[in-house]
Amino acid sequence: MEERTGGGCWGARGRGGEGRRRDARAPAWAGPHPKCAGGLGLQPWGRGPAGRAGGGGDAQRPPPAFGVPQALVDDTEDVSLDFGNEDELAFRKAKIRHPLATFFHLFFRVSAIVTYVCCDWFSRSFVGCFVTVLLLLSFDFWSVKNVTGRLMVGLRWWNQIDEDGKSHWIFEARKASPNHIAATEAEARIFWLGLIICPLIWIVFLFSTLFSLKLKWLALVIAGISLQAANLYGYILCKMGGESDLSKVTASFLSQTVFQTAGPGDFQKPGLEGLEIHKH
Amino acid sequence: MAKAAESSGDPGTTTPRPLMRDLKAVGKKFMHVLYPRKSNTLLRDWDLWGPLILCVTLALMLQRSSVDSEKDGGPQFAEVFVIVWFGAVTITLNSKLLGGNISFFQSLCVLGYCILPLTVAMLVCRLVLLAEPGPVNFMVRLFVVIVMFAWSIVASTAFLADSQPPNRKALAIYPVFLFYFVISWMILTFTPQ
Repeated sequence: MEERTGGGCWGARGRGGEGRRRDARAPAWAGPHPKCAGGLGLQPWGRGPAGRAGGGGDAQRPPPAFGVPQALVDDTEDVSLDFGNEDELAFRKAKIRHPLATFFHLFFRVSAIVTYVCCDWFSRSFVGCFVTVLLLLSFDFWSVKNVTGRLMVGLRWWNQIDEDGKSHWIFEARKASPNHIAATEAEARIFWLGLIICPLIWIVFLFSTLFSLKLKWLALVIAGISLQAANLYGYILCKMGGESDLSKVTASFLSQTVFQTAGPGDFQKPGLEGLEIHKH
Repeated sequence: MAKAAESSGDPGTTTPRPLMRDLKAVGKKFMHVLYPRKSNTLLRDWDLWGPLILCVTLALMLQRSSVDSEKDGGPQFAEVFVIVWFGAVTITLNSKLLGGNISFFQSLCVLGYCILPLTVAMLVCRLVLLAEPGPVNFMVRLFVVIVMFAWSIVASTAFLADSQPPNRKALAIYPVFLFYFVISWMILTFTPQ
């Protein structure tokens, strides 16, 4: 899954960049990563303004409070490739930058659910179905945690044990710097909806298993819930960033994904400027 | 902190191929279980993929083939799963309550990886059971299971014992002993019919 935009500007942590094989550069995180200074990310993904005009919800304009002149975000104007907010806007309204990551984000989760529901039609073997669903859930967990979260919304989380044996959970969100484009709306929407809806479906399965007393499936359903909820929890903690107020985060999330507006926080995420490291 | 971060568990998003990195980590831990030395690898870079693989393999091998297609080994498969994971969680809680300074997932990681010798024992037992039944058959299996059981105990105590205060070591190790004993019992009493 190639990353089109520059190697992530994760912030001045002294850590190497996204490190693709062809990028042999040593980490230099004091300033923006050279690849982040990226007009290279600004291929309009084959759609550009035409996509915007065709896309349904993209008629929204950000309020001029951002300081972006209204004329520059006119739908009919070609997007120029100089760096600036209007570019970022246009790029955010591009549809999907990482199609493979988006596909796999949804593929494993949905096929795990479908397999669980439909396994009786394909084979009578409990073991085969169990192992298949478990494998799909594991692949989904690994890919969402390690790949799609980072590519689609620029969040990552992991656990680290330092020399004292203390365990730290670390949650990071990618800086929304002018040289690096934040996540596109479509990808963010797909990511979060996929992340939230699937655990809810597994919880429904939990109750149906309990009430229909098919208890041999209980182990699988509990495994499914824990794997998916772990990712959900991790990414929510990443997203919360510096804000510990859950209601504010929920409100801004809802406004972004459901109502398809770019909230003012998107361009100046105060909680996410700079590096966020949270020790839990 | 940054230095420690880069030398030890890196987040998997700065390496270009996180899949290979994870697979290599799992393989390395398997090696550490087979040749238990006092080392921090199992504890520092924990992951639960190894225990998952081992649990699934063990559960698959403990399947009884049955004539009746309705009882297709379902409950036994899920039983193994529940015993392994629930047992590991209980031991972890026990060791945390006794004041150990190991984290929840680290303990699960160690206990899970140390099932490897018993999985090998299961494999050997299944092969031995292809031969004709009899007391010799049983003695061979008993011997193999006892050796692997001892190996599991040694491997897990090598990693876990240090995390406990000295006067509580026996209290913490006893449930581990019980856990692997139950698994060994399941392996030893397994018959394909």
